[in-house]
Amino acid sequence: MANETVAIPANLRAKAQEKQWPDDLVESALATGATPEQLIGYMDQGISADQARQFLAAQAGGGPEPSKELADKAALVNWPLDLIKTALAAGAAETDLMRFMDMGITAEQARDFMSGGGAQPQLDLSWMNVPTEWNTRAKPTKHGLTLEAINIGRYGEIPDVWPYQTEMPRGAVPIPGVESMGYSIFEKQVVWSDSCARLYEEAIQRRWRPATDVPWDTIQPLPDDLERAICQICTHISEKEQLEADVIGRWEPDISYGYHEVKLFLATTVFDNARAVEVFRKRALSNGGGLGIQSPGWGFRSIVDARNFTEMAVIQFVLHDSLTLTQYAYGEKYAKNPAEKFIFARAIQDKARIVDYGITHLKFVMMHRADRRDEMQRYLDKAEGMMLQDDKKDPATREAFAIYFGGGKDKIREGLAIYREMRKKHLEQYLARLKWATIDRAERLDPGMRVFIQD
Amino acid sequence: MPVFPSVEWFNAIKDIVNSDPAFRQLGTVDSVTGARCGSKIYEITFEAFECTGVREVGENDLRDMDFWLEQTPAQWKEMLDNIKTNGAADLTHTLNTIDLSLPNGFAQSHDGYRRDAFYRFNQSIQDFFNASSKIDTTYAPEAVTA
Repeated sequence: MANETVAIPANLRAKAQEKQWPDDLVESALATGATPEQLIGYMDQGISADQARQFLAAQAGGGPEPSKELADKAALVNWPLDLIKTALAAGAAETDLMRFMDMGITAEQARDFMSGGGAQPQLDLSWMNVPTEWNTRAKPTKHGLTLEAINIGRYGEIPDVWPYQTEMPRGAVPIPGVESMGYSIFEKQVVWSDSCARLYEEAIQRRWRPATDVPWDTIQPLPDDLERAICQICTHISEKEQLEADVIGRWEPDISYGYHEVKLFLATTVFDNARAVEVFRKRALSNGGGLGIQSPGWGFRSIVDARNFTEMAVIQFVLHDSLTLTQYAYGEKYAKNPAEKFIFARAIQDKARIVDYGITHLKFVMMHRADRRDEMQRYLDKAEGMMLQDDKKDPATREAFAIYFGGGKDKIREGLAIYREMRKKHLEQYLARLKWATIDRAERLDPGMRVFIQD
Repeated sequence: MPVFPSVEWFNAIKDIVNSDPAFRQLGTVDSVTGARCGSKIYEITFEAFECTGVREVGENDLRDMDFWLEQTPAQWKEMLDNIKTNGAADLTHTLNTIDLSLPNGFAQSHDGYRRDAFYRFNQSIQDFFNASSKIDTTYAPEAVTA
């Protein structure tokens, strides 16, 4: 077979000339059974004519002789002598071959490796001609290379309706046959806020680390009633921040890839929630106290039971988070030490971002789906009613705040007055935000809540 | 020795925070903030990681601000004296604490949404005023006598 003359196909001859493989070498390789396609593949991999000639010589049994030590080792692990010679001819060092044998590599594996892993892969490369928008050169702004900065050309076109069921990134090219990811939100108005890209960057830039940033060493022993109060507050906050993380986490997979800015921002809010859970739990467990009792969770139900995204967003981000934000502000004011001051102050910033998203999303919905206005009012009717149930059935949270604000159990009356002031502040800001989003709720506010602002 | 309130005073604070890595580490801050002391109103603009400008403005310009901080000259003096004494606002003189202590609030706005910039960037703006501990402030007569 090796002495037969084999005709060289035109394409192989052209490639061989390009790669400087002499005809006799190509003919010899073909004579050993290599296909023209394999040889073209070797040439494209950069295998030189000298390397190929050495390989053929080794295959023919003409390779260098192994040392006795290597030959003995090969016999021990059942590596045939021709394989050793081939490997040495291909440039392998004896020490490497000894090591491969020690590693347990079989003769079959070694032979497969030296043959290039079997048949050469056929390159496609058609993806390099994909008709996406090319030559895109986003430029960093004063804020760095932000999401808004890369929203240029087609990549910045945020469609009113996203037509793809898959995880294809916005601006990429779809291919047929990809399985659906199970998204259920494909309309911009359902999730969008013009603030979300900016809020995402803000969240990333303004992050903080409870373990090391909080001046934990400034916490001093508190009177028992105050320690119990702050621990109950921390329990309440940890509980509702965890719930919010869970709720947002459940909605994330429903939002299709066309609105990645929303998905990214909501991911930061889950992280913010987690950080709040972390830091308030740490405070509860850092000064001789512990956790308190759980909340009855009436208000939580209206969030968990929301059947569409905007319903959840309005109840969670606008109604409930407005209250949490006010609680943080009052917590900051009445903090008993720099550590608590720091914790509440940073929590204010984090919570204000999700309130911003909630209210700007609501306004976006109102601007694009004015027909949903009464629908939003009805969600708030229901949610305010459920929140009031918490007021009636959760004395622990109310009393804990009152003791903390007042400065002790003996000053709980003063503290309850501050608590009512806090609820009033919440409602004033809640109504002002809704008004900005074109929702006038002053007359429709739940009568039980109106009591707070009539004081 | 800059006089409070004045463009010179706010510019002195601006220069301090813009050269302070700790201010940058607080993150981006984007807000048009006002400071109102008696008849004087100042606009302080924050963009990305720095304070980009300070100017004296009029009543009508309040409408273009996210929010403005307003208290009496004597209250401004008390806050800044406290910061000077402690190196930063103590527990009872932070911007948020003062905000909840004044009947009309410290941070005021014509816009129920834009006012929330006071919350979102609270620590950067607090840091801005805390930087006044690094300069010796003198006060306009109305701040001392009010």
